[in-house]
Amino acid sequence: MTPLLTVVAGAAGALGRYLLSGVAQRATRSDFPVGTLVVNLVGAFLLGAVAGADGFNGATVLIAFLGGFTTFSTWMVETLRLGPRSVTAFMNLTLTLVGGIAIAALGYTLTN
Amino acid sequence: MPSPTRTVRSLLPLPGKLVPAASVFGGGLLGSAAREAAVALLSTRDTGFPTAVLGVNLVGALGLGWFLSRRERAVAGRASLGFWAIGGLGSFTTFSAFSVDTVRLWLSGRYMAAAGYVTASVLGGLLLAWAGQRLGSRL
Repeated sequence: MTPLLTVVAGAAGALGRYLLSGVAQRATRSDFPVGTLVVNLVGAFLLGAVAGADGFNGATVLIAFLGGFTTFSTWMVETLRLGPRSVTAFMNLTLTLVGGIAIAALGYTLTN
Repeated sequence: MPSPTRTVRSLLPLPGKLVPAASVFGGGLLGSAAREAAVALLSTRDTGFPTAVLGVNLVGALGLGWFLSRRERAVAGRASLGFWAIGGLGSFTTFSAFSVDTVRLWLSGRYMAAAGYVTASVLGGLLLAWAGQRLGSRL
């Protein structure tokens, strides 16, 4: 598994994130960062499924893809930008956090 | 020239104002390579605690807070946003690994480690993103 392939996979993940999050965000016509939430939940589920199936041994390219497909930094910054002490900031934080861990666990148990 | 105090709610450009896909892909190459290198350097096989992912996520949060804050002042182009923010820092950090790491720590009975990992990631991430924004408004 050449490092180049995993890096390209990660870049493809970033592109996929940009496209899917853009579609989701424009569909909701809202200030709430639905796009980032969607890609993070989808990515967490898929990685959970990969981990449940065979740990991290085989699907290196997929793991690299999901690393680029999901994003932690965007989640953090978008939460802050929703405003301090705002309900939507709290919602973005908890929906992503609880939803992400729960859906990763779901993916894991489905394939384990 | 956009107002320097205007806050962008969503990281994504508004409809009709897309960034070049190539810039996202290019930034993704850099961000992914940097993350792979960081993980290779930081992985601690003995403890099994996901320090590497924690590290890249915290650094990425700081960097993105700084970049976007600075961009609002400096009016960087859309290609720059696509390359550095969406592609670069977006793929340097990873939410999928964070979630699955937490699940695996929990399922292996390491409840305190799981709680500590979540706390450090989220509180540290918010704090560093905020610090980055403060830095970006000055530097």
